Amino acid sequence: MKVRLHIKGKNLWRLCTLIVLCIVLSCCYTIIASVDQPTTAVVGSNVNITVNVTNSCNSSGTAHFVFGFLTPVGWNTAQNAKVTYSSTKGNGNMVLIPSTVIAPNSNGVNWTTYMMNFFGLAGNLIADVQWTAYESDVPINYNNGDKINGTVNITFNNIGADGNPTLVKLAYVVANDQNGFTFDGNDGDSSPTSEYYNELITPCFQLTGGTGDLVDFCNPQLTTINPPKSLDNDIVTLTYNNNVTPTALAGASAVYLCATATLNDGTKVTVCNPSATTMLTETTATSGLYQLTFWPRKFFGLTATQTVVSMTYFITDKTGATQVGYGGGSSPFTYTFKCT
Amino acid sequence: MNDHFIGKKSHFLIIMLLVLMWTSCKVEQVAPVPESNKDLTGTWKVLQATRNGTNLIPLFDFTQFSIIFNGSTGTYTLNNPVPFIELANGKYSLDNPQYPFTITFTATGGKAVPTAFNYPIINGSREIIMTFSPGCAQNTYVFTLTRSN
Repeated sequence: MKVRLHIKGKNLWRLCTLIVLCIVLSCCYTIIASVDQPTTAVVGSNVNITVNVTNSCNSSGTAHFVFGFLTPVGWNTAQNAKVTYSSTKGNGNMVLIPSTVIAPNSNGVNWTTYMMNFFGLAGNLIADVQWTAYESDVPINYNNGDKINGTVNITFNNIGADGNPTLVKLAYVVANDQNGFTFDGNDGDSSPTSEYYNELITPCFQLTGGTGDLVDFCNPQLTTINPPKSLDNDIVTLTYNNNVTPTALAGASAVYLCATATLNDGTKVTVCNPSATTMLTETTATSGLYQLTFWPRKFFGLTATQTVVSMTYFITDKTGATQVGYGGGSSPFTYTFKCT
Repeated sequence: MNDHFIGKKSHFLIIMLLVLMWTSCKVEQVAPVPESNKDLTGTWKVLQATRNGTNLIPLFDFTQFSIIFNGSTGTYTLNNPVPFIELANGKYSLDNPQYPFTITFTATGGKAVPTAFNYPIINGSREIIMTFSPGCAQNTYVFTLTRSN
């Protein structure tokens, strides 16, 4: 007598779906509810920032809480910021995630690279900001239905370590070390979001004081220099953006660099003759973006013992008679050659 | 008597076969081909150049720059210098002449500057790939050089 095994397809599918859902939903949805940070601070002061976070969990499990903080490179955030957390699941320190740790779902990169790849510059216009990645010192245990509230507390010592007055959009990211920056597509369920991560970009934060040049990450600038931090032995690209504000150079067919370098021996060298050497080339027709890539040591004709400390410059027309300076005015742009 | 003779003959054939088998086996001596020393002698020009990943070739004129390596004297000569590992002429050396991973430039009167070195064969000809920072340490340049003669 044959024994026939009856498995109803409907029940089997239900079981499979339940298993899949248990796997997919085995984590917490995280949101940055708000950030308490000052709108302005003085270079070298200590600043306290509080990031308020809520979590909504759909199952039980364990994960490290991950936190990302976007700041200018020159602030040395990893060294100068102390980060802790307090929550309904306990308190502790947020520790730097080693660069050798590969983030999940990141295509094999570490957390800081993953954050830069995924969230970019967070609206900042100069690529001299970086993400610093932290994780909770211990894994957090959570249960199905948990609503976890907590804060990430940042104490930033000696903010603006590069000494530059700065305008920058600080940004924050929360996630966990199991899901990375993924989502489950279940908007409308009992959770407030379908993402296992969340980003919050704050309005422009102003850092005043300091001895360096103003670095404005927030607003389009008439001129920018790439790399933002460079010495006279780098190859630098000066970009003039004729679209930012109406200037005396509107409609100019060609624009030129008129620069004065201050050398380490105190002497000044001026290069201010419209020529092929000083001409900024428009990137594409009618783009309004003009670029000149040059080697400062050669541009200013330095000897082996001389170095350029800083330079002031104008953008001029072909005659050299029409000059545009900082903010479109008559004061020159300034740039200091330094690495921090 | 015939059986005895046949028996002797069989023994003789077996012994001969064993002798042939024994003498036919010998260890083949394979002489390894030594890896050649890497000779950089010649004039090299910039084929590709990047700064922090940005292609510099359309932005900056590298066509006048060249570096001449002289393998017999261990010296290098720069023509129309650009930001490079060194700005003055001097001596160079490889960490391993057969399998080099580092090239060290020592400008006359200067200090030795070791740099990561790669020497691949691309499309049938050697190229030199060097990574360095002539200015700020966070600004990384990668030059790919190719022989111009």
